[in-house]
Amino acid sequence: MRKKKGTRNELSRKQKMIAGVLVLAVVLVMALPMWNVIVVATSDKLSASQSGVKLWWDSFSLEGFSYVFTVTKLLRPFLNSLFVTTIATVIQVVLSAFAGYVLIQKDLPFRAAITSFVMLTMMIPGDLTLISVYQLNKQLHLLNSYTGLIANGLISGFSILLMRNYFGTVPYSMAEAARLDGAGEIRIFAKIFLPVSLPGLATVFFMEYVGKWNSIMLPATLVTDQNKYTLPLMLKAMIQSDSSTSGTSIAPENAVMAAIVISTLPLLLIYIFAQKYLLEGMNLGAEKG
Amino acid sequence: MKRRKCLSVLAAAVLSVGMLAGCGGNGAAENSAADGGTADSAATAEGSQAVTENAAGEEAGGTVKMLVGVTGGKDDEEMRLFVDEMEKATGLQIEIEKPASDYDQVMMQKLSGGEVYDLIYVSAGQYMNLAEQEALTDITDDVHASDILTNNIDQQEWDDITIDGKIYAGFNKKEVHRVVALNNTLLKKAGIDYKTIEPTMDGYYEVFQKMRQVSDTEDFYPFDVVLSEAWDLQPWMAAAGLKTGVLLNEDGKKYVPISTDEAAPVWEWFKKLYDDGLMDPSSFVDKTSDMREKMGASTQKTGCSVDWAAWVGLHNANAESAGLTAEDYEVVSLPGLQTPDGKYMLGKGGASLFAVPANAQNVEGAIRVLEYFATQEGGELLSVGIEGYDYVVEDGVYTHTEIGAAHGNDHGAPVPIYKDFVAPMGYNTGMEEALGYGEYASIEMTIPNEADYKEIVGKWAIKMVKGETSIEDGLAGMRQELLERGVTEV
Amino acid sequence: MYKKIKRYRGIYLMLVPVVLYFLIFSYYPLLLGVVNSLQKVKLLGGSTFVGLKNYQEVFNSAVYQRALRNTLVVGTGTFLLQFVWGLMIALLLNEVKNKLARSFIQTVTYIPYLLSWAVVGGIWITIFSPTGMINGILKLFADGPSQPVVFLSEPSYARAIMIFTGAWKGAGYFAALFLAAIVSLDESFYESAQIDGATRWQQIVRITLPQIVPTMKVVTVLSAMSLLRNFDQIFVMGNASINDRVQNLLVRIYNDGILEFNVGTATAAATMVLMITMVISFGVRKLLRYDEAYD
Repeated sequence: MRKKKGTRNELSRKQKMIAGVLVLAVVLVMALPMWNVIVVATSDKLSASQSGVKLWWDSFSLEGFSYVFTVTKLLRPFLNSLFVTTIATVIQVVLSAFAGYVLIQKDLPFRAAITSFVMLTMMIPGDLTLISVYQLNKQLHLLNSYTGLIANGLISGFSILLMRNYFGTVPYSMAEAARLDGAGEIRIFAKIFLPVSLPGLATVFFMEYVGKWNSIMLPATLVTDQNKYTLPLMLKAMIQSDSSTSGTSIAPENAVMAAIVISTLPLLLIYIFAQKYLLEGMNLGAEKG
Repeated sequence: MKRRKCLSVLAAAVLSVGMLAGCGGNGAAENSAADGGTADSAATAEGSQAVTENAAGEEAGGTVKMLVGVTGGKDDEEMRLFVDEMEKATGLQIEIEKPASDYDQVMMQKLSGGEVYDLIYVSAGQYMNLAEQEALTDITDDVHASDILTNNIDQQEWDDITIDGKIYAGFNKKEVHRVVALNNTLLKKAGIDYKTIEPTMDGYYEVFQKMRQVSDTEDFYPFDVVLSEAWDLQPWMAAAGLKTGVLLNEDGKKYVPISTDEAAPVWEWFKKLYDDGLMDPSSFVDKTSDMREKMGASTQKTGCSVDWAAWVGLHNANAESAGLTAEDYEVVSLPGLQTPDGKYMLGKGGASLFAVPANAQNVEGAIRVLEYFATQEGGELLSVGIEGYDYVVEDGVYTHTEIGAAHGNDHGAPVPIYKDFVAPMGYNTGMEEALGYGEYASIEMTIPNEADYKEIVGKWAIKMVKGETSIEDGLAGMRQELLERGVTEV
Repeated sequence: MYKKIKRYRGIYLMLVPVVLYFLIFSYYPLLLGVVNSLQKVKLLGGSTFVGLKNYQEVFNSAVYQRALRNTLVVGTGTFLLQFVWGLMIALLLNEVKNKLARSFIQTVTYIPYLLSWAVVGGIWITIFSPTGMINGILKLFADGPSQPVVFLSEPSYARAIMIFTGAWKGAGYFAALFLAAIVSLDESFYESAQIDGATRWQQIVRITLPQIVPTMKVVTVLSAMSLLRNFDQIFVMGNASINDRVQNLLVRIYNDGILEFNVGTATAAATMVLMITMVISFGVRKLLRYDEAYD
């Protein structure tokens, strides 16, 4: 049904050249910083500490990686993050799918109100709730617990809107027909909407995974137990190790960069793996209309 | 039936909130004002509940709860050993909570959440702010009653943290001072003995010229300073006899000495250093970490900076561990420019403290912990760490374990507060000399809006040095903005 | 009405967890936050009600006014550039025929979005430093020795740099959204255009762009809601000499609330951020007729 690339005609030769140069420029500009991170992460301590943007190795070394595992002990936070993020994202995808499905129901009473209710949650600045979020978690006994890490920021308006947009592309008449045949809501949802919306689910999964994986403010609020530290907390502490005013022990630059590589790797793997789905899913179902 | 009822209630709730969202802030503000009372009393109830819990804990032998920023073990395992050591030494039950990052945010949340601690780690600025909010316990009498606290700690330290005659905290560590660090290898190459450098603006200007001539590093600038944070100008401002930061004038009003016209000669000097290519232009944007990189053995892009006494030692230690000899790289220190009456002026770090919150349950225990930190043993725990884990002792000789070496003699206090503390493993090369300039050092007055001070002074300093404005106009602009933003009062 | 509700009760049930969640984790803290904004907050209890005094203070503060201006200018600029940049990447990628190359390029352009500002901010600071890459390039074209430009201390460049680096970080994300819309366009549109003799470029302008307008709207609406949300970038890259031009609301609130414990003022300012965001996103939605697509 969809595109066959071969049938498209192409840009003129001159346009192609311009496009080629542009692509190259974009890739260079966008890849540079990450490349710098990789080079420094795999350099030895001395050459890693030189100022300036490093784009090639003076000396290759993996001591930065061994530092973060033996001295900083990043493994536990890494696993914590992996555990918490994965579970929370799965729950989120399911619940957002439910909510997104609700929001596409034609002539559902209070639909506009519900939509506003969801959208408003996206606009609340974290600073406004900084103190009260702590009080809330204390009252619910969620401090220093995995449950707390999973529950806070569990659902976002963003993913609900994304799901709504995606379900919107499924012909609504299909649901009507099934309803007339006496199918229950859950059944219609599971048998008709979910299968077609797999790319949408994948998109929500990935985007929220990134968001949760990098989240700092809430985990910092919740966790003081060193066994429950998450990766971004450790990373931030490493990057901004200015807390000791007479400043002494500071993680070497190659270790900091190694930690950055380690924290980016899972996201990159998921992204590459899911790229095919994502491309379709990210369309947000906007072609509807 | 019941379910339907629930549903309609829910729907109504959703609807009303949705309308709130629709019609903006007015309704929201009203609504919450009405609910304010309940929310508040809920928080208080929570607080008092915690109080009773803790009172029970005290009977069981005295628990001291601490919220710490940098103090303690670096990971869970070491933290447990750390707590064990403290418990053994003090006979108390110790509980330590340590946020991974964003300490300021977390501390604020914990305090306003009604959490009960006996000691919380605070900076000098936070200490001021908390005292002003009546969030701390007055421990003046306990301090005076304690032999250890009065005898083991210099009186000057206590004076520095006394607010209107009252003390609310004890010390986490001894704050050292900042000195002028110089690359001695370059100086030698230029034929200069650093002890003979003339402590005047002209004297240093000449030294910088010579350093530049002998350095063959690309992009080398002999002088670096973190101008954007006004850090640290003290050893240079000494030439005009002026103290950095905020002071009180004869009428008791706040003013900033280095924004007065008396400071103009020193600002002229900075400008000249910049114009003649001796001051690193990165001084306008660099952070202290950048400055350290440039001072370090691996880059050596600058020859002179102002940094903590400990960093003089660290630069040397880092070079040594990379296999460099003193011939290749050595940092030495000086106290900077001489004041008109022949003295020196150095800046000292704002205190890092353990304050006793107003709701502390075990003040007595908290005092005992503060006492322990002010002893040789407590100091060793806070610096070199835990015996058998960070170091081993054989025939009275301390040796680092591999872990201890990585922790760099810092478990909260590289230099403990105990005035006669003996560093069991000695100090890094050069640090002793730098510590020796301590007599010239004093702290800046602690002000609540320190961030504004830095921003305003930094901004105008850069304008003046760059030549975007004359020194005269720049200083006038600085004074005016300091006044407008409430940093100064005259 | 009642009948309708009854008909949809299964549907409502599916919404229950989400509504409960938002009530507890979003609206309850929000309410407490707004209460704080009406008080002179003392950290260990004893807060007093002061009405709208905190709001007045924020409203009359020159620093907050400046911060609002900076937030809007940098935020809007970043959005516009990021939009164009992302669109450009998406259109270019669509012309790359080699699947592997395409996937590679797309991943590369997406990476900045995955990294935190603490990481990439530091790298850009280095690139713009006196000894950094940009000055290196300038030096190649200069005749004779000259003082390097300290870009990040120049108030006149400050906003441009924030806009550029901000757009740089988010362009790959927008590109992914646009590209997804482009590749799912129906091929038949293009075929008929080809029959009419339209060149590739004309097809892009006449077919591709109009067809992805709905996606553009979604992107715009979502961006409007986070327009005032920038914190990390300015926190990392700002400094004394340029703060007049770039320091934004959230950084200011952080200074006020967390560094100086003025919780009342900070929450009042944060509440105002929320209100302004509501106005902006409402305006944008109306302007784009965004909601009509779903009615």
